[in-house]
Amino acid sequence: MPSKSRREFVKKATSLIGVSTLASTQAHALSLTNPGRDAKDARYVGAEGKRFGMVIDLRKCVGCQACTSACKSENKVPKEKFRTYVPEYELGSYPNVRKAFLPQLCNHCAEPSCVSVCPTGATFARKDGIVVVDNEICWGCGYCINACPYDKRYFNPITNVADKCTLCAHRVDHGLLPACVESCVGGARVFGDLNDPSSHVSQLLSTFPATVLKPASGTKPRVFYIALSGEIQSLPYSNGILDDAVRKREGALHKEWSSKGE
Amino acid sequence: MDFGSLLHTISSITPDRPWGIDIPNYFWFTGSSAAAFIISSFAHVFGMKEYKPIAGFSLLLAFVLLVAAPMNLIDDLRQPGRIINFFFYGWENFPTSPMKWGVLLLMAYPLLILAEAIVLYRPYFTMKKGASYTKEQEEKDHRLGVLLGAIGIPLALSVHGYTGYILGAVHAIPLFHTPIMPILFLASAMVSGTGLLIILLPIFQKFFTDFKRIDYAMMQRLARLLAWFIVIDLVIRFFWLTFAITFNNEEKYALKLFFGENFWEVLIVDYVICLLVPMAIGFIRFFSRSLKWVLFAGVLSAIGVWIFRWNTVIGGQSIGKTTPFLLEYHPHVFGFDSILSVVSNWSLLIALIAAIMALFPWDKEMANYYTKEQ
Ligand code: SF4
Ligand code: SF4
Ligand code: SF4
Repeated sequence: MPSKSRREFVKKATSLIGVSTLASTQAHALSLTNPGRDAKDARYVGAEGKRFGMVIDLRKCVGCQACTSACKSENKVPKEKFRTYVPEYELGSYPNVRKAFLPQLCNHCAEPSCVSVCPTGATFARKDGIVVVDNEICWGCGYCINACPYDKRYFNPITNVADKCTLCAHRVDHGLLPACVESCVGGARVFGDLNDPSSHVSQLLSTFPATVLKPASGTKPRVFYIALSGEIQSLPYSNGILDDAVRKREGALHKEWSSKGE
Repeated sequence: MDFGSLLHTISSITPDRPWGIDIPNYFWFTGSSAAAFIISSFAHVFGMKEYKPIAGFSLLLAFVLLVAAPMNLIDDLRQPGRIINFFFYGWENFPTSPMKWGVLLLMAYPLLILAEAIVLYRPYFTMKKGASYTKEQEEKDHRLGVLLGAIGIPLALSVHGYTGYILGAVHAIPLFHTPIMPILFLASAMVSGTGLLIILLPIFQKFFTDFKRIDYAMMQRLARLLAWFIVIDLVIRFFWLTFAITFNNEEKYALKLFFGENFWEVLIVDYVICLLVPMAIGFIRFFSRSLKWVLFAGVLSAIGVWIFRWNTVIGGQSIGKTTPFLLEYHPHVFGFDSILSVVSNWSLLIALIAAIMALFPWDKEMANYYTKEQ
């Protein structure tokens, strides 16, 4: 290679490197939030002026777990992980006993303690109140998983980051109902805009006394329950009676973390 | 009516828990580092002459511990390749995410210790190069050393205090959620740091110096210091537990359940064997005069604080938030966040100690105090 063209080449190469570094630093510029939100990615912005939430009418829940499985297949939730599930309880003492079901999902809290502790800005609340995780930013520190008082987050073994219920934002953004709501056989799960006084959720809330789980946690949940019994409202620390049927079936009881109460 | 006793969970799921064995180990490392730094400041900043001979040594120890400590954190991340995201994004959470403050502290603190160590050992480095070290320079370095030490003390306290803060801020976990957690962590850190110093000092004095003599008076002094730190630690734990278990709101039931189930590990092993015994050794002259007993106290207290970190981090996460009773943790043997990770971290620590102690003339500096005395 003659020396002149070599010099040209070096010049071009350096300017190319220079430009690309500049471009990459621009793309990586310090951000208060995260790049997806800065770029106004529709998945992360959400609907302005709305406040999505859910009302669960426990009088109608029959404990069929249709929501559990609909959520799993809709969101491809990995084995042994759940975004929603319906624990089964026995209340009272013999002979006065009855059964109770408590469908649980992320409460999309108005003051989410999972969001405030996140050091990378990977988890945040959209404008419509849906709390989501940006799985390209999360570094998997797990702080949010411990900070959620409702155990509603897990590490997704496929993406290797924190994951949770998205209130089916991908469906809601297209005018569909969340999978668990659509599949609910008893019509116990009702989804809607809490800001809209004529929505079904608002009407239910103004008609019936409703409450939230663990109100003392201070996170202001936006999943409300009708006919929630006092025994299970605060999910008290009770005796070692827990049957994790799913894990038992999958033979995974003695993983890294397992329930002791078998 | 006690609702809880009338409630049976028939079926539920086992929830996820993020932090494993790496985290107690990390807390132990940063804590011991902070303690070693404070002990070195006894001489450097507060002018306590009796601690002069070990000031340099413990400063280097503080540095090494803090270089090795963050490896635990990186290993605990599920996406360690995304560390850069921490620096670029999420700054709106700065006021509310103690983890955000912590990483910044974690970077500033070892740099400061390194600077202080270089200033401290500058005379030896300059003389080695054959240059002369003037009186004027000595005074300047002394002032710089005091200044760095004075900045370092709050930094050391915060670098470990923030780890307690991280836990204390988690109101979802009854065992973590107390404003006393940062102070409690500092107090137990002083115990483990002094314990570690008690273990390492005689080994280094005996085998890696020219004077090859263990300073028994210093060992006795450290044993007494250890005993006092244990007293402080116990007093803070007394306040913590008596308030949390007796006067707390609902959280007290979780704590009663936890301490009831783990009575043996927490009360007998941690409190009696690993705190009360070393305290007695430090205070009773018959024991503190004997090197063997002092070493025993050092080992016990270092292990005891490790167990305390474990009981807090793992124990806290074992408490069910929406499921009844406790979870159980079995660390993996291999892979990320496993027993092997912790073993490798300790190996790294030993390698780093060897490297740093070989680079810095700590033995020559220490020898000064002993040859002068003779
Ligand atoms: S339920 Fe938990 S994960 Fe969901 S928003 Fe509230 S604190 Fe966050
Ligand atoms: S695991 Fe991810 S989303 Fe959760 S706090 Fe850490 S970085 Fe944020
Ligand atoms: S809203 Fe969607 S993601 Fe959330 S629990 Fe229901 S189905 Fe699962």
